[in-house]
Amino acid sequence: MEMGYHENRLPADLSAPPAVLRWRLRALSIAAVFAVLSGIDLLISHRFDYVLRGWLMGLMICLSFCLGGLALLMVQWVTGGKWGLLLRRPLEAMSRTLPLVFLMFLPIAIFAKRLYIWAKVIDPQAAFRAGIIDAMQAHAIAYKRPYLNVEGFWIRGVAYFIIFGIFVYFLNRWSLQRDFDMNHGNWFWQKRFENLSGPGLVVYSLVLTGMCVDWVMSLDPTWFSSMYGFMFIVSQGYAALALAVLMVLALSQYEPIQSIFRVTEQHDLGKLLFAFVMLNIYMAFSQYLIIWSGNLPNEIRWYMDRITGGWGPIAGLDFLFHWVLPFFLLLSRDLKRNKRRLATVCCIMLFARFWDTWWLIAPNFPEDRRNLHFSMPELQYIFVPAAMVALWMAYYFTTLRTRGLVALNDPHLPEILEPEHAHA
Amino acid sequence: MPVREGIYGLLAEFDTPTELVVAAKASYNAGYRRMDCYTPYPVEEAAEAMGFDEPKEKAVSRVCLLGGILGGLAMFTLESWISIWAYPLNIAGRGKFSWVAFIVPAYEWTILWAGLCAGFGMLALNRLPAPYHPLFNAPNFRNGATSDKFFLCLEADDPRFSVTDTRSLLESLHPVSVVEVEH
Repeated sequence: MEMGYHENRLPADLSAPPAVLRWRLRALSIAAVFAVLSGIDLLISHRFDYVLRGWLMGLMICLSFCLGGLALLMVQWVTGGKWGLLLRRPLEAMSRTLPLVFLMFLPIAIFAKRLYIWAKVIDPQAAFRAGIIDAMQAHAIAYKRPYLNVEGFWIRGVAYFIIFGIFVYFLNRWSLQRDFDMNHGNWFWQKRFENLSGPGLVVYSLVLTGMCVDWVMSLDPTWFSSMYGFMFIVSQGYAALALAVLMVLALSQYEPIQSIFRVTEQHDLGKLLFAFVMLNIYMAFSQYLIIWSGNLPNEIRWYMDRITGGWGPIAGLDFLFHWVLPFFLLLSRDLKRNKRRLATVCCIMLFARFWDTWWLIAPNFPEDRRNLHFSMPELQYIFVPAAMVALWMAYYFTTLRTRGLVALNDPHLPEILEPEHAHA
Repeated sequence: MPVREGIYGLLAEFDTPTELVVAAKASYNAGYRRMDCYTPYPVEEAAEAMGFDEPKEKAVSRVCLLGGILGGLAMFTLESWISIWAYPLNIAGRGKFSWVAFIVPAYEWTILWAGLCAGFGMLALNRLPAPYHPLFNAPNFRNGATSDKFFLCLEADDPRFSVTDTRSLLESLHPVSVVEVEH
């Protein structure tokens, strides 16, 4: 019989396969290449501002992998399901990259005055008279000063990381303790994780909203949208899930993931990706619909900055990469059950996140606002994020190697080792 | 329609889903296509064993996709027709063709018609509801199919079907019993 009717067995060695070391080396060399390219670009163009802008873009993408991983980890604790067991260790490793993301945040906070107009301008009225900012910006900066100030930016930034750090610490620590705990039953651990993860998801949404308002939305201090936080939350899930699925697909070529990887869970993950594709377009379109219906000059400007002056095709391609391609591809049942094709869709989705983050960040700055153009420093939007994400990946592969890739002592484990048709 | 007479098929009874899946797979590999599995609860692998994954078997997916596309197009066209030709209204100076606002109802109709087509398409393609089915003539099927037994029926209108050869194939797959079912 070509189908195996025996139960799979876990291999004795649950640590990450040696291939991960090879991937880490590859990631490190990509990071080095792009870091050098970025340095050369800086020497030629002498525009450090652009390095910071690219850095912010890289930070937001690394943050989405790290915190998106944390959020999905909490989701799988609350909902249960065998897909959660399959993804658990890769997601935990993603959440443990938080210290690196904190280091990446520091340059943004240190050079806030070069990046954020509200930090650069000390006296809005004087800046308005000098013609540096317009009346609307002067009003917004003065009005929002109690929130948008460098001291507050630092304090909130550090607080965000401490709050997330607590969740990362306990979820990772308990998970390792559970592996070898024979004294407490499943009920004890399940409740423990649920009690932390449920409130954790609420805290995550609130804190992440603060993060993206501080770091990205405040680039344009005159504009605001209540949808913004949710857009980032969903896009983090989108990015982190695509990356996590890509990782387990790659790891499934080797033990130990090979023995717990089944088509059933792969299909489930494909459906979950599809759900995130829909949820993401739902958020993005809702914001657009609300602002389009409102038709107010102070809100519509944000979209005008991003669709006029050559940015229109970029926005159209954003829609294509983010929704059209993954949506129509993931409709197919066969594709979701095919490793290679599902991995391709994950790559499209990850590429879409880069594209979208660029589209969100770049038009905030006067050089690019309603003016899509090419210049040497603009290349920093490719070099810096590519170097940062490659470095993040290298660190991720390091954290992945620090513990076994299969969580033990979980009631789902015997089930996921069963062949897929043994129901009796 | 004239009353159909004669043999409907050979019904093999199994105790476990695994045996059923093995048997279905073996019958499929032996060239049988007109067959069906009957289980008390969904056994997806049985569908796969019978070649459900082959493109021609995916009629429900296609009906669902077609329903979704037609539903979405219908609503979007309706909205465009109303706003541009039938009853144009100037709402806060926006263009007559305000596609942004049309998306929401068009999306709802896509979901609605995809869902309806999937549900009713599945019923129609399965020829349901069926007030009469020959298999209920078999007493062991009546008693076991909804509780704890797993059945494979190889149908007589399969070109490979022969009362003797098919029976010996089924008996080689360790069933509890093989019975002949009349129309």
